[in-house]
Amino acid sequence: MSASLAPECNEVKERYDSCFLKWYSEKYLRGKGKTDECSALFKDYKHCLTNALKERGIDKMLEDAREDHKENDAANMRRG
Amino acid sequence: MKVFSNSETFDYSWEEVSTANWRKYCPWNEKSTHVIAVDTLSRHVDAETGILRTERLITCKQSAPKWLASLMGGTDVSHVFETSYVDPESKKVTMVSQNLTWSNILSCQEKVVYQPLSATKTQFVQEAKVTALCGGWQKVKNAVEEATVCRFSENARLGKEGFETVLEMSRRVFSEEKKKQTERETVAL
Repeated sequence: MSASLAPECNEVKERYDSCFLKWYSEKYLRGKGKTDECSALFKDYKHCLTNALKERGIDKMLEDAREDHKENDAANMRRG
Repeated sequence: MKVFSNSETFDYSWEEVSTANWRKYCPWNEKSTHVIAVDTLSRHVDAETGILRTERLITCKQSAPKWLASLMGGTDVSHVFETSYVDPESKKVTMVSQNLTWSNILSCQEKVVYQPLSATKTQFVQEAKVTALCGGWQKVKNAVEEATVCRFSENARLGKEGFETVLEMSRRVFSEEKKKQTERETVAL
């Protein structure tokens, strides 16, 4: 798996990524996974990452980009 | 504005490609070394459609030509924001991304779609729109766009080679896992 931009988050990220990939390939793609089972691990990773993004000032850049991406949701969150 | 487009065919099923895509930039990929980190920012399955929506932050490090680097303020680390959508029913992966760094002078918007061509073949279609926003001479803007498109094309070529390795390794690891599991089950019987 790829690294995190914050080395201190690598361990929690690795655990989450492995969980997600297993869920994705074994359940989600087979129509058995409607909810993400790795949410507890994601919470740990997210907690670590959020601090790292703040320290680097990336959180502000992300807010703007999210706004711009809203129109993509309209096009891609539906079937077709 | 300049447009870069590219399409490739991978000799793997859509399921294999869409799974391996999550680890496209793992150490198995020795070609796309400009990507130094991939972080997941949010992820959820839409209750209504079953579509998996993911936001990721991709961190790159690569040297730009000197004249371009000075225009960009001298940093060689950049960030890209990506939103992806997986529809397992219609078998479609769509990824849209844009640059976060240098966004005041350059806008790169990329869209990638993975769809099955057959049970064993998957098509990858990529389109990137590059627009220089910096004020000044058209000549400078053109040069900035040219250089960026040029890098896109180089990264696309290397990306294909690198992803082929990831696909091959994923298939090998998966079949080994399966073999081990079968062996365990045989022993248990």
